[in-house]
Amino acid sequence: MTGVAPRLLVVEDDDPIRTALRWALEDEGYDVGEAASGEEALAAVGVTPPDLMVVDLMLGSMDGFTVIREVRREHDLPIIVVSARADTDDIVAALEAGADDYVTKPFQVKEITARLRALRRRATSGTPATHPVPEEVVLDSTLPALVLREAAGTVHRGGEQVPLTLTEFRLLCELASAPGRVFSRQVLLERVWEHGFFGDERIVDVHIRRLRTKVERDPGAPRVVVTVRGLGYRLDQR
Amino acid sequence: MKGALGSRGLRSRIVVGSAVGALLVSVVLVTTTWLLARSYLLDQREASLVRQAFADANVLGSRLATVGTEVGDVVAELTPSNGADVVVRSGDAWYSSSLDVGARYVPADLRSIVGEGSAGTVRLDTPEGPALLVGVPISSAGVDYYELAPLTELQQVLRTLAVVLGAGALAATAAGAAFGGWASRRALQPLEQVAGAATRIAGGELTTRLPPTEDPDLLAIVAGFNSMVDALAARIERDARFVGDVSHELRSPLTGVVTSVEVLAARRAELSPRADQALSLVEGELARFRQMLDDLLALARLDGAPPSDSGVPVSMTALVREVLAAGGWDGELLHADPDDATTVSGDKNALERAVRNLLDNAGRHAGGPTAVHVQRRDGAVLVSVDDGGPGVPVEDRERVFERFARGPRAARRSLPGAGLGLAIVAETASRHGGAAWCSAAPGGGARFSLSVPGCAR
Repeated sequence: MTGVAPRLLVVEDDDPIRTALRWALEDEGYDVGEAASGEEALAAVGVTPPDLMVVDLMLGSMDGFTVIREVRREHDLPIIVVSARADTDDIVAALEAGADDYVTKPFQVKEITARLRALRRRATSGTPATHPVPEEVVLDSTLPALVLREAAGTVHRGGEQVPLTLTEFRLLCELASAPGRVFSRQVLLERVWEHGFFGDERIVDVHIRRLRTKVERDPGAPRVVVTVRGLGYRLDQR
Repeated sequence: MKGALGSRGLRSRIVVGSAVGALLVSVVLVTTTWLLARSYLLDQREASLVRQAFADANVLGSRLATVGTEVGDVVAELTPSNGADVVVRSGDAWYSSSLDVGARYVPADLRSIVGEGSAGTVRLDTPEGPALLVGVPISSAGVDYYELAPLTELQQVLRTLAVVLGAGALAATAAGAAFGGWASRRALQPLEQVAGAATRIAGGELTTRLPPTEDPDLLAIVAGFNSMVDALAARIERDARFVGDVSHELRSPLTGVVTSVEVLAARRAELSPRADQALSLVEGELARFRQMLDDLLALARLDGAPPSDSGVPVSMTALVREVLAAGGWDGELLHADPDDATTVSGDKNALERAVRNLLDNAGRHAGGPTAVHVQRRDGAVLVSVDDGGPGVPVEDRERVFERFARGPRAARRSLPGAGLGLAIVAETASRHGGAAWCSAAPGGGARFSLSVPGCAR
């Protein structure tokens, strides 16, 4: 945490939790803003977009899913979801709405900061891949060609930039670091999310799904990001 | 009778009952039939023999009417049909057509009946078998005519009839027993369905119901049984949901407390020594509370989830290695078969928790594990954790897996743990189609084992 403190927005309708969370995250060096409702959160993001967000799924009138979906229209910032239940479909729904990662209550602040740090590392460094990657990788040469420029942090289809979130971009770079090689969900979880052995592999699956809707011509029949049954995922250059 | 039959099953009682019933009915029928047939056949035979005797007596009478005929000569010439023998009394003299037969065969009462001028019959037992003796007075010649006809043929017929009827009775009895067996099977079929359904329900398949029936006799049983299961399932679900809901409700306030305590802990330096001690105490208790809540939720989840067949492949060796590393245990403790030999299909998080609980249990009660084995044995993957503690007495080895059971030293309040850890292990094992048990470790401590069916290799 050098330089300017990263700006973090905590969206949580439970006052004691929100307050305690702000204190604890401020102790960790974040510049913390608070929002007690979904509407408040969207207003705050509209004024000055934060660098990171922590969103509780159970909010009042506007739930966390809507907040995430709305924020994702404009912003690629990392979003962590807080949920009371890890075993429900809520998590998958939140990830599909655009969340990058999740923690379950009752969490310890260090769990959140570890996740934030992992997401933040990618968001700031731009080149977090473990393998050196050429400046330009052509993922799909069929015109209009799909081109990944890792250093620039962009993916273009023809002349148009493909809007990826930071995590989706990071996931694509990881796969593109060794085209044709199979990456297990486990490996992707460790490299992209810095989760340990017991991380939730659903996170990978949902992000792959989201990535496909953006880079594949037909997400129903993926040809760039390919599933290898029982093993994991592979990037095929075409 | 009741004692002898009461101890048997309903089915064998029905079989025996209908066999006995069939036997009684057929004995009565057979006996009646036999008696009626016998008397009818005898009467028929007697009537025909009597007719024959009269005819023969007529012939004799007309021969004797010829002057100068000797009774003895005529008798010698007589050839009665059917192998009958003839005895004739003329005055005090007796003449017979056969050397074996004579006056001695003719009983005194028949002699007197015939002597008085009437015809008569009597049944006799001769050395050759039963026979009928017909006496006819021939008043014109002043002689008495007796004809002895054998009844052996008729007796043969009656014997055959008796054998046939007896066999029929036996067949009827066997048929009765078979019918009883069939009927009892039919009658017990619904009961067996009920028993099967009850067994499945006891095994945890609370969605089991009896199929609807058109049979008016069974409607009430089926409806009653199904509504009982409905009520039971609803109640179990309500109880499980309540525990889960309470635990979830507690998570939010707990989150606030945990986070606030962390904020406090970051300012330890600003606290007085007493406040610092109090904070440490709160931290310890909070960790325990979290653990307990976590365990309750894990159990609620295991209780609520159906036995999973949507498992993912998990290598138990890799999993145990990771759990050891994550818990700060010495990786050298692990003695394991290769990763790919110990793959099971299951819920990775639940298995991780079960293994962690086994290690924590050893740490809590016995100063930590002394060895951890992961082996493939007879198609199952076996994880066992040995400790160097005092061991578990044989009588407690099942009880330690019950919810909120406490180990021998757990009565001391200072030991963390809510006594749900091993219950979670047992529940996880059974959800995966495996088992968990406690035995003695070779070194003297306790050995806790978890076995889960392995994937085909």
